[in-house]
Formats: sequence, C-alpha cells, structure tokens
Amino acid sequence: MSGTGPRAGSLAWLLLLPLLAWLAVFVIAPAAILFVYAFCEHDELGRVVYRFTFDNFHRVGERVYLTIFIRSVGYAAVTTALCLAAGFPAAWYIARRPAALRHRLLLLVMIPFWTSFLIRTYAWMTILKQDGLLNSLLESTGFTRHPIELLYTPGAVTIGLVYAYLPFMILPIYASAEKLDASLVEAAHDLGAGPLRVFAAVIIPLTWPGIAAGTLLVFVPAIGMFAITDLMGGARIPLIGNVIQNQFFQARDWPFGAALGVVFLLLFAAAYVLLQRPKPAAA
Amino acid sequence: MRLLVRAVLLLGVLACRLPGRDELNLFAWSEYVPQKVIDGFTKETGIEVNYETFASNEEMISKLVAGRGDYDLIQPSDYAAEALIRANLLAPLDPALLPNRRNLDPAFRHLPHDPADRYTVPYMSGTVGIVVNSAVVHDPVAGYADVFQPRYAGRIVVLNDNREMVSWALASLGLPPNEITPATLERARPVIARWVRLVKVFDSDSPKTALLNGDVDLGVVWSGEAAILWKQDRKFHYVLPKEGAHEFVDVLAIPVGSTHQAAAHRFIDYVLRPEVSKLISDEFPYTNPNAGARKLLAPDQLANPASYPAGGKLETFRDIGRMASDVDRLVTDVKSSQ
Repeated sequence: MSGTGPRAGSLAWLLLLPLLAWLAVFVIAPAAILFVYAFCEHDELGRVVYRFTFDNFHRVGERVYLTIFIRSVGYAAVTTALCLAAGFPAAWYIARRPAALRHRLLLLVMIPFWTSFLIRTYAWMTILKQDGLLNSLLESTGFTRHPIELLYTPGAVTIGLVYAYLPFMILPIYASAEKLDASLVEAAHDLGAGPLRVFAAVIIPLTWPGIAAGTLLVFVPAIGMFAITDLMGGARIPLIGNVIQNQFFQARDWPFGAALGVVFLLLFAAAYVLLQRPKPAAA
Repeated sequence: MRLLVRAVLLLGVLACRLPGRDELNLFAWSEYVPQKVIDGFTKETGIEVNYETFASNEEMISKLVAGRGDYDLIQPSDYAAEALIRANLLAPLDPALLPNRRNLDPAFRHLPHDPADRYTVPYMSGTVGIVVNSAVVHDPVAGYADVFQPRYAGRIVVLNDNREMVSWALASLGLPPNEITPATLERARPVIARWVRLVKVFDSDSPKTALLNGDVDLGVVWSGEAAILWKQDRKFHYVLPKEGAHEFVDVLAIPVGSTHQAAAHRFIDYVLRPEVSKLISDEFPYTNPNAGARKLLAPDQLANPASYPAGGKLETFRDIGRMASDVDRLVTDVKSSQ
C-alpha cells in the first residue's frame, strides 16, 4: 500500500476501527480476564477469589497435565498432517479446473457447514458403531467375519478431527494455488526440472502462504477440541480441551482452568511464530 | 452508529421489562421438563417460560454465579442445592404459596440438604445403578465387583462423572461415599485405575446410546436412562449395586436475585399437582416423589424396576466443596496414565 498519499494512514485506521473494536472486546478483554483469573484462588463454588497465587501454574507443570498437553499436540499434529495430505491434492485439483467447475467443487467442500457440527459427528457414530454401516458393509462383502472395533477408539477420534477440519486446510491452499501462474510451472518443466523438482522448488514455495494458513487453522483448534473426543472417543483419553472444560463443569476450579487456558494461548502464539518464519528456500 | 446501537439495546431492555408481560426464566437439566408441562403452565397462567438447560450441577452453579438475576427457577441436585444454600444463593420459599406440597411422599420431606424444607421442593428422584444386557451377559451381576471384571473389558459404559466414579470405588471398599478426603482418595485410586482400563465409553448425557447400539453390554448409569432402556427392550435389567447405590433428589429452588419470584412459586406449585407431575413420569421415568402422582401411574410404570427399584442400600451425596477439584485431578490422572 505504498505511494497512496499521506492521508491513507488515517483513513486506513478508520476502516480498521470496527475490527480493532471487535478484537478488543472479544479477544483482548477475555484473554486479559483469563490471565488475571489464572493467578487467583478459588472458593467452594469454584468462583474466583482475588488473592494472588502461583499454584495454578505449578499444577499445570505437573506430569499429568504435561502428558495430556503433549498427547493433545500429538493428536493435533497427526490431524494436521492427514489434512495436509488429503487437502493439498484436493485444493490443487480444484484450483486447476475451469472457473465454473471450480466454483461447484468449492461448494461441495463447504456443504458440510450447512449442517450442525454435532449432527455430523452423530452421523459418523452411526457409520462407525458396532452394528453400524461400515461394519455391516465389511461383513456383507466378506471382508471380516466379526465386527471391528471402530467407534470409541483413538482412530475414531482422528477420523472425527480430520473430517471436521479438512475444509479449513483445503480453502486457504486453494486460494494460493488458484493465484499460482501456470506458466511458472511450465517454465520449470521447460528448463528441465522433473515433476518432483517442480513440486519442491516451484509449487510448494508459491503455495506456502496457503499451506501455513491451513496448518494453523487446523492445528490450533484441533488441540483444544473436546466434543469429538467425548463423543467419538468415549471420553476415555483426556485431551487438554476436556481437562479445561472439566475445571468449569465438574471440578469447580475456574482459576486452574484459566491457567491451562493461558498456557494454551502461549502455545498458539508459539505455533504462529514458528509458521511465520520465512518459507523454505527454493533449492 | 453508536447511537443506533444504544437505541436498539434500550429497546431490547424495554421489551424485556414491559409491565403486564409476565415471564419465568427456568434453568433446568436438559431432557427433564416436558414441553407439555411448560405449555400447560403458560396456557393457564399466561406466564411465558424461557427454558434454558444445563448438563451438570457444576455447569449450573458456574452460570448461576456468573449471571446473577438471570434465572428465576433452578433445578439443582440435592448436594448442589446444599452448596448454594450454604453460600446464601437461594431465596427462602413462601409455604403459603405452595399448598400442593402436601402431595409429596413424606419420605421426600426434610431431606438432609434442606432439613427444614425452607429452600427446595423435590422434583424427581433417582438412583445410579447397573444396567445389564441380559441377552449377552448371562452371569448374575449384583454389584460393582461383578461389573468391573477383566472378561467384560471394552464392554462397559459408565457416567462421565468423576465424583460418581469415586463414590462407587469408595462403596466397593466399604467406605461411605461422602467421606472424600486425601486419604480415602488414595485408597480409591488403585480401584479406579483398574476400572477405567475396562471401560469403553464414558458418557453422562446419553449412556443408553452405547447400550442400544450394541457397543457395550453393561453399564453404570442414571436410573432414568435404564428405565427408558427397559421400556424399549426388557432384556435390559436394572440392578442396585449391593455395595450401596447413589440416590439423588433433583429439586426446584429460587435463586436470590430472581425478579419473578411469584411466577416461580406458581410454577413449583403447578408441578406439584398430581396430574402434572404424572406427565413428567410419562416422559422421564425417574422416581416420582409425588405420592398423589404415583397413584395415577399405570401398573407397568410402577413395575419398571429402574424407576421404582425394590429396596437396597441407598445414600445421597453431600456437598464436598473444594474436594471436587481433587476428585477431578485423581480421575484425570488415572484416565490419562492408563
């Protein structure tokens, strides 16, 4: 936005005002409240008592919660990797179609959002349960003789997470891939690069902003997800989202829940900084 | 712009405070107050009922203390009511406005959480017990020890409620379920650690689903869920664990700061009518504390072993205050390190 005159600055601020107000009210203020609560004690009903303490953060550092943090990050990482593996080819394919078809295909990616997330999760439970659709299909086609344990397993949780977040990977990569100039790929081919080299040296660097945005959009919410682990995982393995939720709805310990939330926020910030580093150098 | 926002907000506030349009903000368990009851009340009194739901006592307490004055009538369980009474968050009831209270079974008067019946009126009651799919499980199941056996590994559903699980473990050790101290929790730890490895599903909202789907064969669940299962298929048997079962009484109470206390009293008294209380039993087959309503129930409703179990060692929960946090820590730890 350089060279648009000296008045552009103030106008830009004016245009940004609604966004800044929104951020202040719905992001900064809640985060500040969370931060304050995290250093407080709590009473019998779980309410915050404004007495300074470090105890909540000491507790976050306990082995139990560290294990849960690491496990949550693991699930989110696997989810992100699978979303990338499935989402990149899909996004690339869609972006290379003629405009009319492209829009229709994009619509297909977004159609699931027309139904409530919980209803779609219950639909997955119907597919994966013991006498559900998938097991019936496998048995009737003779692939298996007994139903396989699908629902309420870590696999089911991963399926649920990948399903829920796949569109958030496809859409930003699509946006990058669509802008990519096809002649650059052709030029690389003409200059003698093989398909792998073209992919690594041209396509990945040029779609990197989309990959980074998609990774962030999938990874960050996947760490905190609790509904899928409850419904599709049978709440057997606690992830950090479940633990935070429990502090408010079972344990009556808001300050500890807030402390977990603060650490969680810092983790987001770290993930963001990591992904904002310069894109991989073209070899 | 800001002026416009203010004007809209002001209009909204005015619309809520218009005189003559009486309303009642009911904050109750999900799937617990039949629409028929709410509609009947509105039709008779003209009072609009806003029904907001919660899924655990702690969730209710969280929202109640965060938004004081938002609710006129709440539906805590006994021990949660006890905690709220202790924190001076419940308004005393006016007995003169509740003549239908005489319909209650005397066994449900003067309960430990509110000995003088000053703040609460029982709504429905129930137990937490064992459900067995007798088509699959043929051996007798009488207590927790029979449920949590290695041969049923991966075939068990239990409530996703940490305090419940701790109380079962204490009962199986012969300890009173309300004696929750660091020492008793340490004794319960190995028992719970052994149990959670055998459990396939933790679900408080709808534990019947996993049983109906055939994903599990046994469970420790709310009696109302078990009663619904029995209604659908008689193969689902309900057993009160011989080590002792948790009995809960869900009550109606008016929080301090309610702005529609008269309407709240009218709703409580309306629900206490036998014919209205019967509607609750029809839809949510828990134990009805209303003696008048019980007389109106059909024989097969009264014969439902989950709704009206025959005798057994029952114990209600008492408020454990700050220990709730230690209970959560223990179960989270055990679940995480399996």
